[in-house]
Amino acid sequence: MLTKHSENQLFHTFDETLRPQIEELLSLGKSAGADLIEIFLEKTDNISLLAEQDDISNVSPSFGIGAGIRVFLGKKDGFVSTNDLSKAGLLFALSQALGMLGLEIATQNKHNFEGLDSLKDYGIKKKNWLKDSPDINESTIKLLDSTKLLSSKNKNLEVRRASYSRSWQEVVIAATDGVFARDIRLHQTVGMNVIAIKDKNRSTSARRYGSSGNPNDLRNWDINKSAIELNESAEQMLNAEYVEAGQMPVVLANKFGGVIFHEACGHLLETTQLERGTSPFHDKVNKKIANTAVCAVDEGLSNYAFGSLSMDDEGMEPQNTLLIENGILKQFISDRAGALRTGHPRTGSGRRQNFSFAAASRMRNTYIKQGTYSPDKLIESIDKGLYCKSMGGGSVGPTGQFNFSVEEGYLIKNGKLDKPVKGATLIGEAKEILPRISMCANDLDLAAGFCGSVSGSINVTVGQPHIKVDSITVGGR
Amino acid sequence: MTNNITTKTNGELNPVFLNQLLDKYSNELDIRKWDMGASSSTDISVQVQNGNAKQLKGSQRNSITLRVWNKNKVGITSTSDLTDKGIMKAMKGAIEASLYGNEKESPEFSSLAKSPLKDISSKLSKSHSIDQLLTILKRAEKQLIDTHDSIDSVPYNGLSESYIERLYINSDGANRFMKLSQSSIYLYAKSEEKNKKPRSAGAIRINSDLEKLDINSCIDETSKKIISHLNYKAIETKKYLICFTPEAFLQLINAFSSMFNARSIIDGLSLMNEESLGKQIAVKSLNISDEGLHPDNIGAFSFDGEGTPTQNINLIKSGILSNLLHSEATARKFGVAPTGHAGLGAKVSVSPDWLVVSKSKGEMDMDETLSVKSTLQEYILIDELSALHSGVKASQGSFSLPFDGWIVKDSKRTSIEAATVAGDIIKVLNSIVKIEKEKIVTHQGISPFVWVENMSITGEA
Repeated sequence: MLTKHSENQLFHTFDETLRPQIEELLSLGKSAGADLIEIFLEKTDNISLLAEQDDISNVSPSFGIGAGIRVFLGKKDGFVSTNDLSKAGLLFALSQALGMLGLEIATQNKHNFEGLDSLKDYGIKKKNWLKDSPDINESTIKLLDSTKLLSSKNKNLEVRRASYSRSWQEVVIAATDGVFARDIRLHQTVGMNVIAIKDKNRSTSARRYGSSGNPNDLRNWDINKSAIELNESAEQMLNAEYVEAGQMPVVLANKFGGVIFHEACGHLLETTQLERGTSPFHDKVNKKIANTAVCAVDEGLSNYAFGSLSMDDEGMEPQNTLLIENGILKQFISDRAGALRTGHPRTGSGRRQNFSFAAASRMRNTYIKQGTYSPDKLIESIDKGLYCKSMGGGSVGPTGQFNFSVEEGYLIKNGKLDKPVKGATLIGEAKEILPRISMCANDLDLAAGFCGSVSGSINVTVGQPHIKVDSITVGGR
Repeated sequence: MTNNITTKTNGELNPVFLNQLLDKYSNELDIRKWDMGASSSTDISVQVQNGNAKQLKGSQRNSITLRVWNKNKVGITSTSDLTDKGIMKAMKGAIEASLYGNEKESPEFSSLAKSPLKDISSKLSKSHSIDQLLTILKRAEKQLIDTHDSIDSVPYNGLSESYIERLYINSDGANRFMKLSQSSIYLYAKSEEKNKKPRSAGAIRINSDLEKLDINSCIDETSKKIISHLNYKAIETKKYLICFTPEAFLQLINAFSSMFNARSIIDGLSLMNEESLGKQIAVKSLNISDEGLHPDNIGAFSFDGEGTPTQNINLIKSGILSNLLHSEATARKFGVAPTGHAGLGAKVSVSPDWLVVSKSKGEMDMDETLSVKSTLQEYILIDELSALHSGVKASQGSFSLPFDGWIVKDSKRTSIEAATVAGDIIKVLNSIVKIEKEKIVTHQGISPFVWVENMSITGEA
């Protein structure tokens, strides 16, 4: 029924005092013959709130603890996760991870592990983040203010929803190569979505904003600006007609327009994809893969950006990784396993949703750098095409083919924006589209999002300036 | 002393201890009414690459969701910290959350939380070692690659075995517990031929017992699909006669399941409204039911998040919207009994279990001659839809979705290079011209092949 008291020492206080217990576990793993053992400990304290119309309809706090233990032997690895942070629980998880690779905990030969380095404590300056964040009361007031503001701006809004979620995470990472690091992460998102109904027409519109490491983010949220933007979009799309399908030039707006680069190109530059043999760019380092107008980076350093971090989930500080320079592929995004299996050096990009996933090479803040044109110049260069003001989600197939829905689109006629259109989907393949990005505007901006992949759903930033794609398939009716 | 509510080695929940602890803490904190859902799982899984282990994973996970009633307001918390301190923290969190509970939408205990449950045979299968899983998957990968020269790899694959427990208890004495096992395999292969684009296709199989998992048919289906996609062509953008495979039609219906969802209707997020019940929304030949208790539904639980027994329920009968899926709160609002489709929350979500599509008895199809085995006229066979999370506007009824499939003429199938299908779900349901007789079991429900006329396809020709 219950764990025995003697085995019940808990790994619940994440600080230097954990050193002897962690070193003992790592030493046991090393003695068993593993090349490397990594322990990831996690505590979370999250809350999500939902306001619908003029009521708070959901307040959901959640707490979590867990550990992930990863063992490498040669190029293979075994990974076990558990909610049980007792010594017995972690020992059991370690023995399982070792067992996956045919190893057993030995009682002899404990001298081949030299111990952990000094604790790198990135969390020490962040200890007040949780208490400095808005409490439930303050958060609910702000959300209700936002839905009330929406109703005052548009009588056609039948559904008005606003949500807030705060995710606080404390982690400790330790590995037999000496890594011993602690961090605290704080991510906040606010979302608004509406349904407008007029006669037989319906339109939906949604926006999400997010930040990392900024306890005041919700307080600073400009609900008036968001409400105006959302109302304009819903109202325009209420009168939109279905777009006619075909091949055409498009201009993609900045901010969340960058989701296409993230999905269609960024993922193919992760070593995870190289390992699978599914990246068409696997042999293209220092070769041209995009139009010379394209320079792109992935970094984890921008202040308060949703994908920024002090260290990745393998204890490495994030790098500013230049992916594409003037159309030439420069570097891949790599983690520990990626470096081991593909030879591409780590970039501080080992990321995971939580303890139950092994880290994998994942993007952080990924964007196309800005160019020199004003956004109007891009529109003016097109006789007949599509302006994608707001993008929805999308997906990428295993061989690089992608599709994205356009939430808010406008026809371009004779170099000017024309009527709004709905139902558009952009379809293409990364290696064919990258050479067709011919113009980048001078208005780079970023947007927060969640990215789901092999190591779960993580916080990322996408971004770009306005860009022009010379030709792309637009799905419609 | 800090206790843990699970056993040391296998993470199983301990309902008796949990109940005692919640009783004790609720008394201490002056809470008279509470309920709790808990789940626990133990999984192992493997992935392989080129005959080698790629990743080996194991996990033991537990979590509870706790609701408390505090002066008629409900608060909720979930936690994976199942120590006694963790449970106490969760209860305090739920009490704090209850201060912001919505009195207009306060859930109650399900009136059926203590009703007898249907007997779902859920024998636990024998567990296997990670080495056994690895051997099986390595063999499957090799077998699949050996089926055709063009198949160069199986980049996405996995074999897993899981043991899952679910528990529901409340302060009124309801006590539900169930445990089941589940195994699954997925194989997603890639092929590449000279001067052609890489192509990919996959299949999945699920069974309660690894020994009974139909791995050969998963290999066979993946191989046949990918070979059929090797010779592809771009198609014209225009309106086509469409045949949905059972998998694709179920994907589409599931994406619009808010039509049947009482919670979505109340919230204004559904295409339907409270007056839609009893109205004709599809052709008369169409039946859709939700059958969580169907014997082919692997992984079925006999009760939902609120402890209500799982039930089979007709949703569309001869084209008429006949019932909705309910939680306790939505059922109360509609004056019916809960249907066993609820989660657990302050605002309880509702979702379908396992959809079954069939043809109404006695109803004629618009075009009886159509058959996926013999039709000679040109049509598009849609095998799998993609990007459902972004290409579906459930509250508007519209969709625009990429798909894998073939253009078929004179019974000859040619793979489509890349295309999307767009439409309006109500129009689709009313443009069904044939529902074939043979019902096919898939991992997400049961459906025959369904034919729809005049649908918009965007191709690249």
